[in-house]
Amino acid sequence: MELLEFAVEKALELGASYAEARFEEKKGTSLAMKNGNPEGLSVISDRGMGVRVLADGGMGFASTNVLTKESVGEAVKKAVKLAKAAAKVRKEPIVFSEEDFHSVEYKVKMRKDFRDFSPEEKLELLRKIEEEVKATGVNVPMRYLNYSDQVWKKKILHSDGAYIESKIPRVSVTYNLVVFENGQMEQAPFVQRAFSGGLELIEKDEPWKWAVKDVQALKRLIYEGRKPPEGRVDLVISPEVAGIAVHESVGHPYESDRIFGREAAQAGESFVKPDMLGERIGSEAVTVIEDPTIPNSWGFYLYDDEGVKARPRYLIRNGIINEFLMNREYAAKLGQRSNAAARAINYNREPIVRMANTYLAPGDHSFEELIEDVKLGVYMVSFNEWNIDDRRYQQRYIGREAYLIENGEIKHPVRRPILEITTRALWSSVDAVGREVEFYPGTCGKGEPGQGVPVWMGGAHARLRDIPLRRP
Amino acid sequence: MFDVNDFILKKAKELGFGDVVVLSHETERRQVRFANNEITVAKNWHERKVELFVELEKRVAGTSITELSEENIEKTLKTLLSNLKGMSPKEDYYGIAEGPFEYRDIPETFDKAIVELDEPNEYVETAINSALEEGAKRVAGVLYTDHDKIYLTTSNGVEGFDEGTGIEISVRAFIGDLESGHGTNSSRVLKKFDPEWAGRKAGEIANLARNPEQGPEGKFDVIFDPLAFANLLSYMSFMTSAYAAEAGFSFLVNKLNEKVASDIVTIKDIGNLPNGYGTRKFDDEGVPTRETTIIENGTFRTFLLNHSLARKYGASTTANAGLVMPHAWNIVLEPGDYTREELFDEVKKGIYITNVWYTRFQNYVAGDFSTIPRDGIFLVENGELRPIRNIRVSDNLQRILGGIKGLTKESHHVHWWEVNTPVTTPYVLVGDVGITRAMK
Repeated sequence: MELLEFAVEKALELGASYAEARFEEKKGTSLAMKNGNPEGLSVISDRGMGVRVLADGGMGFASTNVLTKESVGEAVKKAVKLAKAAAKVRKEPIVFSEEDFHSVEYKVKMRKDFRDFSPEEKLELLRKIEEEVKATGVNVPMRYLNYSDQVWKKKILHSDGAYIESKIPRVSVTYNLVVFENGQMEQAPFVQRAFSGGLELIEKDEPWKWAVKDVQALKRLIYEGRKPPEGRVDLVISPEVAGIAVHESVGHPYESDRIFGREAAQAGESFVKPDMLGERIGSEAVTVIEDPTIPNSWGFYLYDDEGVKARPRYLIRNGIINEFLMNREYAAKLGQRSNAAARAINYNREPIVRMANTYLAPGDHSFEELIEDVKLGVYMVSFNEWNIDDRRYQQRYIGREAYLIENGEIKHPVRRPILEITTRALWSSVDAVGREVEFYPGTCGKGEPGQGVPVWMGGAHARLRDIPLRRP
Repeated sequence: MFDVNDFILKKAKELGFGDVVVLSHETERRQVRFANNEITVAKNWHERKVELFVELEKRVAGTSITELSEENIEKTLKTLLSNLKGMSPKEDYYGIAEGPFEYRDIPETFDKAIVELDEPNEYVETAINSALEEGAKRVAGVLYTDHDKIYLTTSNGVEGFDEGTGIEISVRAFIGDLESGHGTNSSRVLKKFDPEWAGRKAGEIANLARNPEQGPEGKFDVIFDPLAFANLLSYMSFMTSAYAAEAGFSFLVNKLNEKVASDIVTIKDIGNLPNGYGTRKFDDEGVPTRETTIIENGTFRTFLLNHSLARKYGASTTANAGLVMPHAWNIVLEPGDYTREELFDEVKKGIYITNVWYTRFQNYVAGDFSTIPRDGIFLVENGELRPIRNIRVSDNLQRILGGIKGLTKESHHVHWWEVNTPVTTPYVLVGDVGITRAMK
């Protein structure tokens, strides 16, 4: 705290109009197992301080992991100097929105604290996946498994009055499984199960059951999979597929720094423009919510790194563009208040506009109701290949596990149905949404240098009518 | 920082560890980000860090230490020791390379002028202005300067020091929402840094890309700009690691000494490439970096290896440690004999793709993937370019390598956000590339 105060005061003394100092510490372990072999232990222990300032209307940032007054003082000097120099290559000064600030301390509790368990005990979780996958009798010649846990501590002090202290433990299991049967090969890569909280969340989630489900589905796909229907059909997407679709084509294009071009060099701009607030982008059935406050979520936080209190954000309400994701800089540009989307992945990164947990809000249909009046269609359960252009308009998702729907019944698996569609067409085609919401973890990439932040993506099942589906 | 390294090594040996690698870094990095023709933020990073790898009877562990007091170092080593004692061994671990080695200076990897550079904003202004002169309306990008010192000490007699610098810029120029171009430039020495070239290229492509029409789909001859092909080769570089192959992330599995590309394709990793952005004197075990031919005239010759994986497969290290995961330093696709004009003349009806991003795989072992062209995309017809938009490359990596029909003499060294491992590549002509587009 003393170093944080020192940094903020020194920045103001040197001429900054605003200063924030952020101390972060991450401690944890990571373990991998490759084809049954433990790959070794990685111990994560990282801490340092970042300082961000506004001076003369320019923004400067500096960080150091040498936590002495001398080194922090040096970082502050650099940040202020950089901000002043940057101001000379600006047309208008950067201004932050007015907000209510708090002095807050919060933490996520662990019922089973992973710090109390040895690496070998954690390795048992991966062994359990190995055993359960082997017990299926499916030939899985390549198996890469990873376990990781970290406690993230943050202390953030701002010159305009915010002080936020937080402690969030995060735990995750990831796998890549290659199924080889009948001379054919299918793959479930980078499948992750992840939470904010203790080991009990992984144990309750039982990642080995997800792995077993995946390899059995892939084996069935190899033996029974047929070509998907081509041309215009109906498509029912699972919460997992709905999750990636809302993340890519709603969350990203609604990030205000993209809308205003700040991400143009790297992650791109957006088809969404400031004057599109209130415009229809999807059907009445589509509501998309972005909510950092979901307990134990992978993207959990209660206050963002600019000290603004988090809340659910309704990006689309009944098909209408309702609000953008904002930090203080772009809230000021829009004449609004920030909705707490400013996140930094570590002490050595600046806070930028990010998603947390994005989902397609539930509707009023049971799963059976979604399926029963589909004459010909596909049910896409999970996906592998996906991408979207840098304006977030043209996207593609390819089914991993997927089934034919015929006359209201789910039939045999289909191979790699391809949904390649524009954002507007995608969300305008939704005519019904299911009642149950599920979430899937991911790492959202943005910023340079990269900031892979933990996010959840999800939603309810959704039915899309009259969709042009492709085959490989 | 050799005093810190020596202390860690001594303490680790006292505690009974077998193989020990201590790799220390002192880094100074600056960044200037810009968008809409103005600087959005300027940054500075100062870091001292020790990366530590230890082995105890085939049990291995790694960590980074940033608090370098003797007390914290001893505490960290004891924590690693207690954690490792209960762990199962990595049965396929075969040790680290035996030193000592001799190291040679690699040309154009250090420049005092970059260390002493007070203010890089003038280079940003140069890039912005050259893009604007070509017709751009909005210019965005990022500039870095780097100064790194690394100190390596291992329990097998290695002591190595390397000091490097770098400066690079990535520039994206926009005219409207759909018209953009991209240029990059990376150099380890200031006199070869050319931000004006990067800005001008970005502006020129944006200008050529005005009023694009919806692109077609089907199979096309495609000319990939070095910026675009570097992206694909950067993804491929990960797949050349023996570790990635074992983990199920490579289309090169079981293809040693098989044909995986057309005859004119030779791909190397050159760790000691002069002026290469990934160049280092030695790998993480201390083995002097070198040139390794991965694909020779279309035939796959070797995965990238460290000492342990090399022993496992009865081969020699390729000096690509990464102790756990070997990785490439600088990927180089050998140039061909076409001029750029001759290459475009080869295409009666095809597509020129200046950049791609968001490359994702359906299946790593099969190599099926898609990637999105961004910035200028052009139909090439009888020597003329017509701008198009909204298409996707949907194909297979091995088929792309197999379909290479022409390479220019001219090559470019590419390193930016989407090309993590630096790549040197010519313009590449590939036949029958799968192109798709959204149908609704």
